[in-house]
Amino acid sequence: MDNAVITESYRCVRYFCTTGSGLEPFLVEEVKRKLLAIDVEFIPGRVFFTTDAAMESISQLKSAERLFLLLHRSPPIRAPVNQAKAVSVVQQSIVGDSEVWKGALCTWSRLRARLTDVKTTRKRKREEGQDEEEDKHTETQPSHPRDTQSGVSEPQTDSEQPKTTFRVSCRSSGVVAKRFSPQDLSRLIGSAITKQLNWRADLKEPELEVNVYLSDDHCVVGILLSSHPLAKRSYIKHTGLRSTVAWAMTSVSNMKEGAVIIDPMCGVGTILLEAAQECPNACFFGLDSDVGQLQKAAENVEYAQLTDRVQLLQASAMRIPLPSGSVDVVICDVPFGRKFSCGSSMAAALPEIVEEMERVLRVGGSLVLLLSLQLSTLLKKKILKDALPCPATTAVGSPASDTLLSSETDTCVTHTHSENAKLSDGLTLRPFCSLHTHSIHKVSLGNTDAVIHTYTKTHGH
Amino acid sequence: MKLLTHNMLTSHVKGVTKGYPLLIKATEVKVNEVEFNPQFVSRMIPKLEWSALIQAADGLGHLQDLPGTVVPEFENNDDFLRKVHRVLLEVEVIEGCLQCPESGREFPISRGVPNMLLNDDES
Repeated sequence: MDNAVITESYRCVRYFCTTGSGLEPFLVEEVKRKLLAIDVEFIPGRVFFTTDAAMESISQLKSAERLFLLLHRSPPIRAPVNQAKAVSVVQQSIVGDSEVWKGALCTWSRLRARLTDVKTTRKRKREEGQDEEEDKHTETQPSHPRDTQSGVSEPQTDSEQPKTTFRVSCRSSGVVAKRFSPQDLSRLIGSAITKQLNWRADLKEPELEVNVYLSDDHCVVGILLSSHPLAKRSYIKHTGLRSTVAWAMTSVSNMKEGAVIIDPMCGVGTILLEAAQECPNACFFGLDSDVGQLQKAAENVEYAQLTDRVQLLQASAMRIPLPSGSVDVVICDVPFGRKFSCGSSMAAALPEIVEEMERVLRVGGSLVLLLSLQLSTLLKKKILKDALPCPATTAVGSPASDTLLSSETDTCVTHTHSENAKLSDGLTLRPFCSLHTHSIHKVSLGNTDAVIHTYTKTHGH
Repeated sequence: MKLLTHNMLTSHVKGVTKGYPLLIKATEVKVNEVEFNPQFVSRMIPKLEWSALIQAADGLGHLQDLPGTVVPEFENNDDFLRKVHRVLLEVEVIEGCLQCPESGREFPISRGVPNMLLNDDES
């Protein structure tokens, strides 16, 4: 019997994760690299994969939002005109074979148990090293005063075997969304599950959450595995940039052991924290002109226990107090929308800032920037214009840049300078001529979009 | 400010050609214990300006009898790595200032963070 358990625990499982728009290629890369996942596929906002990796590794994914066990993924639903028939078609296509659901429930319980193990060990580890006050802020202790009032989720009192409790959460778009509201869909799918599987609906505190995604192109049904989003980092106290986007930036930065990595406008230090977790034997410097931001960054660095490798400096990105060619990676979320400290707007300051970043980079080093759409366009124009007259930009390729390219070719758009051959009027200006564009990724920051630019410094001045 | 940071810092005051190394004028120095990571220290040694590190450590009274040059095969020299670890990561200047060797401009260090900001007329 023990043997059976062991065999079962190493079986491959098909999962999917949700992720921010634009981050799908990063997550595809990550599950392949870290989980040796197979059959990796993605649709907007969702990445599907099969792996036998331990729950501990899966729950450490950095570019994912939430993790689900895949129940089934089928062709989009074609609901007939007749409403009653449509309801039955929807119910049939979502719920289908109850044996599949029972099997999935077993797998879910097993995985879930492991996930809880992972969580409690991690929590214990953290409590040992941290004072309790800090934990109070980050640990969301679920208290449920509402439930006691309504009495909905009282423990099962019936003598029969306790029923599995569930709730359906549904997202729909396209034709199906026009016919049914998400609430209607959740209700009718819920009632089909109750009928076929004898599970009990519980909206407030269900054991499992059935997740349904319906669009004109897709029909995806899964069970939520992580109640906390994977994107919520246990090591970050003050949040700045979305941690998934910060991680994505570090994943294309080509940082290596022993590297010197700087963020010249580090804010609360989100990118440095993500980078330092990923690259244990490198040295990180965070610069910011604002003392308030640096203070929060210092608290973050301390909380993440990275004070040995992440150092902070009060300095301007226009005058980085480091020697030329001394840095391996410059990585930065370029602030936009607000006034820059020097009084001018970021659009006006950007060329000078990028030039300064280029100065401190060593030849072969990488520059990774997160820019607003407007700043992205501006920089693209600027770099194309200045880089064009310089023949070395395309002729010289360092080994470092080649490896970066080959690992990223399937996930990014590689831009060449030739497309803008008409912009040849910048012959006198060549501050950016050593920056070779590697990739441009558009990503969502929730309420706005941004672009990750990646460059390699190909030669010295 | 750790001496690892100091080892990289340069002054960019207008007109200065060699703003390195900065002179440390410390009023408060602490030694904080940091977990020893020999790989990290070994990786950092080739990146260091060794003489600047020795000078800075000596100035703060924490030289740890480190030699004037990096010892050969330091990767396997645990004793040496531990001393470098101490100087690079554990000795910390909390209050004081850094002085540009060429212009004499002083950069304050407050709560362990050096302020390298320049005024508009200095840059």
